[in-house]
Amino acid sequence: MRNYFNDLPKSALGASYWIFAVYLVLPLALMTAMSFKDANFIAFPIGNWTLSWYSKVVQDKQFLEASLYSIGIALATTVSATIIGVWIALLVSAENIWGKAVIFALACLPAVVPGLINAISMRIFIRAVDIPTGTFAIILAHTVHAVPFVVIMVLTRLRSMPANLVDAARDLGADPFIAFLRVTIPYLMPALFGGMIFCVLTSIDDFVRTFFLGGYQPTLPMLIFAKVQGGMSPEINAMATIVLVVTTAIGLYAEHFTRRSRS
Amino acid sequence: MQPVVHFKNVNKSYGALTAVDDLDLSIAPGQFVTLLGPSGCGKSTTLRMLGGFDSPTSGEIYLEGKPISHLPPNKRNVNIVFQDYALFPHLTVGRNIAFGLELKGMESAAIHRRVTELLSLVSLEDHAERMPAQLSGGQRQRVALMRALAPDPNVLLLDEPLSALDAKLRQQMQIELKSIQKKTGKTFIFVTHDQEEALTMSDVIVVMNKGRIEQMGGPDELYARPRSRFVANFIGQSNFLESTVVSVSGGIAAVQWRGNVVNADVNGTAPIPGHHVTLALRPEAVFCLSRKPEDRPSLKARINQRVFKGAHTSLTVTLDNGSTLLAQIDPVALSHVEGDDVWVGWRDSDAVLLAQ
Repeated sequence: MRNYFNDLPKSALGASYWIFAVYLVLPLALMTAMSFKDANFIAFPIGNWTLSWYSKVVQDKQFLEASLYSIGIALATTVSATIIGVWIALLVSAENIWGKAVIFALACLPAVVPGLINAISMRIFIRAVDIPTGTFAIILAHTVHAVPFVVIMVLTRLRSMPANLVDAARDLGADPFIAFLRVTIPYLMPALFGGMIFCVLTSIDDFVRTFFLGGYQPTLPMLIFAKVQGGMSPEINAMATIVLVVTTAIGLYAEHFTRRSRS
Repeated sequence: MQPVVHFKNVNKSYGALTAVDDLDLSIAPGQFVTLLGPSGCGKSTTLRMLGGFDSPTSGEIYLEGKPISHLPPNKRNVNIVFQDYALFPHLTVGRNIAFGLELKGMESAAIHRRVTELLSLVSLEDHAERMPAQLSGGQRQRVALMRALAPDPNVLLLDEPLSALDAKLRQQMQIELKSIQKKTGKTFIFVTHDQEEALTMSDVIVVMNKGRIEQMGGPDELYARPRSRFVANFIGQSNFLESTVVSVSGGIAAVQWRGNVVNADVNGTAPIPGHHVTLALRPEAVFCLSRKPEDRPSLKARINQRVFKGAHTSLTVTLDNGSTLLAQIDPVALSHVEGDDVWVGWRDSDAVLLAQ
């Protein structure tokens, strides 16, 4: 491919990129570094290094409970958003569906509505229909937020799917349901996997919706928020670092998986 | 013998567009039948209706005497090889071929035997564990063919399966397809717009145009005895001579063509003296000689253009009566060049009258 930016001095491009990269990584590096500081305040120099904050965090019942709670919500969100998302994507990709554009636009709406507005409207809604705040309400809100991403990923994949694949399965004796299970689903797998990872990550990350819709039990972001209210400490840094490492690992694995299945 | 496939007064229209127009077609078992025609002639629609992917607007399709129009594709004992092969990308070659067998509930040892047997038929035994993406175009084609043959269908449908291959591979696959058809003894229904493919492989060619059957017959018959201008033009090349009937005797008609009287085969038509007719004449049936022959009728002509085409040489000649003829001759038979005078003619039976 022709390089359209040949005329710009390469060094300038390179240098500005590295400035950006440092800006990107430095805060994370600082946060991580501070989690090893052997003192209960955050400031340079670090002085003595310790792993004690980590051992404290992993023995912290509150932290473990909140983590499990967040993971549970994320899994429930993922299952419901994937089912709804695939369903909508199939609807939109079907040939003779009336109001296709409207269905698609509605499905994508939550991706552009600001989280705060989404959270407030959901809060009003659940009160109106008598759903209590808590786990179910959080899952509802997270699902609504995650569905558009599943729809878009699955739809992109569906559109690249040769129409003949399902025909071939039908021709070889599969009824519509078997053809869907044995041909369409495997074909969609990379998109489904990517969409599911995305659901997990957005759900675990969400603060605003959970804040408005949650009950007394805190999710991980809520717990960290509550702890920050009491002042920053290396313990919070250790928690955040654990979350960072785990989510980055999931993200990298997903990237690796989708890349492998594409080739 | 009972036809294996019978289309009875089948119509298919999409809104105002008629894709298949009152099709009546019987296919005898064990034959290699080609549906030949330009794009939009209804050949693919016909195939899709037989496969169960389209249903007739009216009429009925019979498979071995039983009506099948109401059956979904998975309930019909026909299998199709798609134009783009449609191999399942997530399954190995072996699992692709096994797909139809698994759905039939065959036990795995028997499936394994059948898959191995089919792969050896196309010399791909050692490719069973490969993924479709790792195969060449010709190999994919063979796998698609074996996958469709695996469930042992009565009729195999092939939807322009060779069009994605390069010319050399296509010729090789034509011969391979024909030999597989002979070996298995199954009815093959092959759709193509390529007349050469049709002539090479078919027992029977069905020429379609605008949703209707234009002519049906063996390749040699269609080539030598086209009944319409469309067939004469679509299969091979033809000169068309607009003439008027003078007299008819013994299956040969004498016609008046631009001031000359020439002879032609009546070709199953019933020409009436004084009526206008069209003659079709193959370029290779036209002879060109340097001197006027004593033993047969000929006309004087001048060479307009001489083009060397390898196996033959193509001549465009202009006759004294002002008309132009295309002739194909042996490259070494005639040394004359553009501007030279020659004598042209043809055997009476090589020019055929077309039905109007």
